This record gives sequence, structure tokens and C-alpha cells, in this order.
Amino acid sequence: MPHPPISPSRHPNPAAGDRRMRGRLGIAGAVVLASGLALSGCSGAGSGTEDITFLLSKPEAVPYFQDLVAEFNGSQSEVRVTLDSASNLSAGFLRGNPPDVGLLNYNYEMARFMERGALSDLSDMPEADRIRPDVQELVDQYATYPGRTSVLPYSVAAASVIYNVQMFEENGIEVPTTWDELIAACDTLEAAGITPIYGTYKDAWTVAQGLFDYSVGGTTDVPEFLAALEEEGTEVGPDSPVSFQKTILDPVLQMEELAAYSNADAASRGYGDGNVAFANGEAAMYLQGPWALGEIAKTSPDLELGTFPLPMTNDPDDLKVRVNLDLALWVPEASNSKEAARTFVSYLMQQDVMDAYNAAFLGFGTTTDAAPVTDERILGMQEYYDAGEFYQGLSRSIPLTIPIDNYIQAMVTGADIPATLATIDADWARLALRG
Amino acid sequence: MSTPVTTAAASAGSLVDEAEHGRTDHLAGARHDRRGRVRVDPIYYWFLVPTLVLFTLAITVPAVLGIFYSFTNFIGFGDWEFVGFTNYVAAFSDPAILASYGFTFGFAIVTVLLVNVIAFLLAVGLTAKIKLKAGLRAVFVIPMVISGIVIAYVFNFLFSNSVPALGSGLGIPWLSESILANPDLAWLSIVIVTAWQSIPATLLIYIAGLLSIPGEVYEAADIDGAGAVRRLWSVTLPLVSGYVVINMILGFKNYLNVYDVIVGLTNGGPGTSTRSIAMTIFTGFTGGDYAYQMANATIFFIIAVAISVLQLRITRGKAAI
Repeated sequence: MPHPPISPSRHPNPAAGDRRMRGRLGIAGAVVLASGLALSGCSGAGSGTEDITFLLSKPEAVPYFQDLVAEFNGSQSEVRVTLDSASNLSAGFLRGNPPDVGLLNYNYEMARFMERGALSDLSDMPEADRIRPDVQELVDQYATYPGRTSVLPYSVAAASVIYNVQMFEENGIEVPTTWDELIAACDTLEAAGITPIYGTYKDAWTVAQGLFDYSVGGTTDVPEFLAALEEEGTEVGPDSPVSFQKTILDPVLQMEELAAYSNADAASRGYGDGNVAFANGEAAMYLQGPWALGEIAKTSPDLELGTFPLPMTNDPDDLKVRVNLDLALWVPEASNSKEAARTFVSYLMQQDVMDAYNAAFLGFGTTTDAAPVTDERILGMQEYYDAGEFYQGLSRSIPLTIPIDNYIQAMVTGADIPATLATIDADWARLALRG
Repeated sequence: MSTPVTTAAASAGSLVDEAEHGRTDHLAGARHDRRGRVRVDPIYYWFLVPTLVLFTLAITVPAVLGIFYSFTNFIGFGDWEFVGFTNYVAAFSDPAILASYGFTFGFAIVTVLLVNVIAFLLAVGLTAKIKLKAGLRAVFVIPMVISGIVIAYVFNFLFSNSVPALGSGLGIPWLSESILANPDLAWLSIVIVTAWQSIPATLLIYIAGLLSIPGEVYEAADIDGAGAVRRLWSVTLPLVSGYVVINMILGFKNYLNVYDVIVGLTNGGPGTSTRSIAMTIFTGFTGGDYAYQMANATIFFIIAVAISVLQLRITRGKAAI
């Protein structure tokens, strides 16, 4: 049984225990696989079985997909899938033996592979036609490869403001739909002695995906901004028509205004602190994605929570939620078993399989016939998602060479905002020069 | 009074010289054949082969490849082409890279001074005839056996929670805010944690150095009437100068590579105030900027080699141990 070796990670891994955990998962996977084999053994498997590897990036979803894989392996005898949640993706592509099917978070880093044609075309699969066009477009915002649909969005994570329903009700606050209402709500909460927003600036990514992305996404057309920046390239700077220091200055100043409503010790609080504090009712609003809901529930399982898009203008029609492609499917060009891989992709893309996954992991469906979400905590985002009122966070659409999270953290903790934005412009131009 | 002390120091110096001659005289494993040529048993070469092969495969080859790729636009996979010195030119004008060099060197200088002063004083204390000497030595060495990232996370908690709680409890305003959240002071936290972690190793070398000083020298100094401070300054320090140089240079080179402590404490923040060279280089792997950061790594490598050459020069001179 070909099993991809756990690639040696070159980086001094802070989570040394992580690898041990992966090892254990690998064993668990092997057990599940073995049971799957036992089942398929009855149906006379053996000749013509094609082995494929399936790479999954979401650690918390591994047990879920282990069951799915076992079920798939048991249901037929042509394709046998091995679940892999440990291999290093870049190393796999570099060596020329990437996994046969990938189900990963789709982001800027992943887009590099697509852009260079490393992912095969799936546009002829009937499943590709079921994807909502506006969701498929999210893939193209990072990079495209001419004439190909190389990535099938599988699940979307929608993020907005998580709020404490009881606190809002007790203070007579309606869910704000305009900037003025939002500020008024913050003032009311503050007057009642409640911290309006819980900030966790110590973990820079939390500010980037929350305050920053919501502020910019609520006022600015992010893909258009990025395309214009791309166009300007080395010209991005104080004199270019589009730049960080010009185009997003206002939303970032609004962000600063909002940040002032955070807990006084926000600068020394991290993501974990924030989840616990918010679960314990230490603040009314928390700018985090659905991933935080599970963490909050660990502390306060019965806390009543809701979500609403952060209003950044005074027009309720401008409301949008932040999304990211939490999981997306692809089949590498270098795979030797593309047909088998596609069979498994079709299996995963069955509507009831997708719906079950999204229901279990608080995701939004990516297909036109997807079931709506039912969880109260994320229900508030459904109408915006259905209407296509969403954007991908700006902080996640910028080359990783630019330490955007750190810059955002600096701005929210008191650094000069126009100067920091100008620094980002300079970084962008310098990168364009090298690129 | 100054002359006798100098003699004591000089006699100690000659002791060191003699020991050295004794050592260089006879190479281990070397035999003289009939004509007096040195003949080395081939088994000694075979001892070296496995290490040599591993070293070549695991270090030399990747390093050479890395330097090679620094002249290309390679992003980690796929096609690439040569771009000459573009990466190097860009690196020298990149404020982020320059800032990381500034931070790292400043950090290394401050840390190496702090570590050596504290470790030396501790070593002097721990080699004196004090009670509980063995127990205290064991206690002081404990930080050495804990992994850097663990230490960093523990201190992260202390700096973010315990120290501010203490500060606000005592009503000291500057202590009640987390040092990690202050862009101007966050680097101090990294100095403190690195020092805490690396003092033991430095301490051990100093203890070894201090123990190697023969008692007669102190007796001579005593007879000459030198006090404790004078003994430390004119006898002890000159006699351990070799150890001081070794500790300074090895420490400095180590601190230039600072990475895990920063990841555990500030992750380069707040803002970009504590991004070290190693962290900047590492972004090349995650950010698809492989070739560019390879150029940065090559520059860093050349600097490290320069420091090593300097170290060899100095230690070969008067300060040999």
C-alpha cells in the first residue's frame, strides 16, 4: 500500500506535539481503511483496484472524513482511498507526487499551484456546473489558469460580528444595520458598563481577519481594489490613483474608531483568551469567524449567540459578510489516477454529503441546490450569502511576503495609520518590481 | 604592589602555555614509521566517513542549492529562470530586511553582554566556597534542559497575565501593561527570555574556566596582599579571558539565529518591531518567495562566516583555551 511519507518539516515547528498527533491520526486512518478493506473484500475486490491518496487540511474534520472514506471504500471496489492529513503540500508538488485529491482551505498560497497549471481541469464534470457562479468566482480572485476550472469550492466559512443576544436584548439594542446605529449601540453598551467589543490584538491574525477585513470589506470592493493594485504594480504609491494609503484610508480610520470600544487590555489578549472571555460574557460583540463558535461553546454551551455583518456605511444595502473558501476540491495534473480521483470527487460532491458536512461544521453550501444553514448562530448571515453580498478578506488576498497582519496589528495598537499604509504600498511596489 | 601580582598572572599564563605544548606534541592515533613520517591508521578516516556523507547530504548540498536558487526567481516549485543579482539588489533596499538586521544585531549585542555579565558573576559565586554549591548549580542549569519554545510560551503567559496583574495589584502603572504589547519594549522581553534560557550554558563554561585556575595563583596574590576585587580583576579575569571570548562569540552567533523564542513571545510583533533575520528568511518558504529569501539567507551566511573567521583569529591568538 503506497503511503506517502510524512515529509520532514524544515521549520522549527512550534507545535512539536502536532506531528505525534498526526502520527496517531495516521494509525486511526489505517484502522478505518483496514475495516473498509474488510468490507470491500466480501464483494470480491482485488483485481483492478486503484489506490489514491486524499489530502485533507482541516484537522478537526479528519474523523468525519475518515468515516466518509471508509464508507466510500466499502461501497465499491474500483477505487481505494487513503486519507492523508499530514503530508507537506509544497513538497508533494515539488517531488512530483502530490495527493490525487486535495480538499483544502483555498487561499493565496494554494493559488500559486493553480496559477502554474499544477491542477487539472474539472470543468467537464457535471458537479462543476452545480457550483454557484459567484462562489466559483471567489477562486478566480486569487489567480486563474486560462481555460480551466481547476478548483471546486466545497464549503464556505462566512464570518461577521458574533454578538451576545441576551446583552443586546437587555440593553434594548437592535442588530445595527448602519454605521451610526453601530456606534450608538457601542455607546449604549459602554454606558451600561459593558465592553462593546472584545479585542485580541496579541494574535495579529485575529485583528486582520476581524476588524480589518470587515472594515475594508464593508466599504470597498475588494477584488476590484486588488485588480487595480495588480495593474499599478510598481507604480503603487502616494501618487497612484489606487493605493492602500488612499483607497482604504477611510475604512482603516473607522476601524481605529471601533477599536477604541474594545477592552482596555486588548493588546495583551490572544485568540484563546478572547474565546473564553466572550463565552463568559465579558463583552457584547466579538469579530470572529464560525471557527470561534465551537471554542466558545466549550466554555458556555448554552450561550445564545447571533451574527450580523459589520455595518460600515449608513446604507443598509451595503451590508456584506466576509467569506473564505474553507474547503475546496482539486485534482493535480501530476496525479496518475485522475479518473479514480474524479470518481471520489463525485462522491464527495453529492449534495447530501456536502449538506451533512456543512451542517456539522457550520459551513455554507457552495452549490445552487445546497441546503440553507439551520444553526441559529450563523443564521443571520444566510440572507447576505444567498444574495451574493460577500467578499474575501483583503488581509488574506495579499502576498504573504508582506507581513500584513503585523502591519494591521501595529495600526490597531497605535501606530501612525497613513504612514503604515504607505509602508504597505512601498512593499507592494517593491514586490511588483521583483515579481 | 603591582609587580608581584603581574608575576602571578604571568606564571599562570606560562602554565597555560605549557599545557598547550603538551597537548599539541602528540596527536592521538598517530604513529611514526621507520623514516619518522607520521603514519595514520586508516580506521580514523573510516570513523569520519558516515558523518562526512551525512553532513554533505543534509547540509552542504542544500546550502549550495539554496545559494544557486538565490540567483533565480524560483518560488519553491515549477519553472524558474536566472535573474542574476536582482534578488540581492532588492534585498539591500528592502526596509523590512534591513530592519530585521538592525533588530537582530541590536538584540544579539545586548543579550550577549547581559548573559555574560550575569553568568560570570554567578560562576564566581558558584565556585567560591559557599554552602549548597552543588544544589545551586543544579538549579541554575535547569533552564538549559527546557525547550526554547516552551520557555517562550510560559513567559508569554507571565508577561501577558501575571506581571500586569502584579503591576495593577501594586499600583505600578508601567508594570500593569503587558510588555509584549508595547512596540518599543517588546524586544526587552525577548532579551530577558533568551538570557534566562542561555545563561546556564554560559555559566557552565565559566565554571569550567574558573576551576581551571590553579590555587597557587590565588595564594600568590593573597601573599601579595590583593583584595577580593583586585583578585577578580587582575587574576581571575585575565586567566579566563579565553572563556570570555568563546562565550561572547558563540553566544553572539547563536543570538543572531533567534527564532523560536520570538515565535513563542511576540511572533514578530507588535507590528513588525521584533522580526528577526531568521523569521524574515522563513517567510520565503511560506510566502512563495523562496529565491529572494535564499539571497537573504546567503547574505546572512556570509556574515556568519565572517564572524567565525574573526572568532578563529582571536581564539588562535592569546586567548586559546
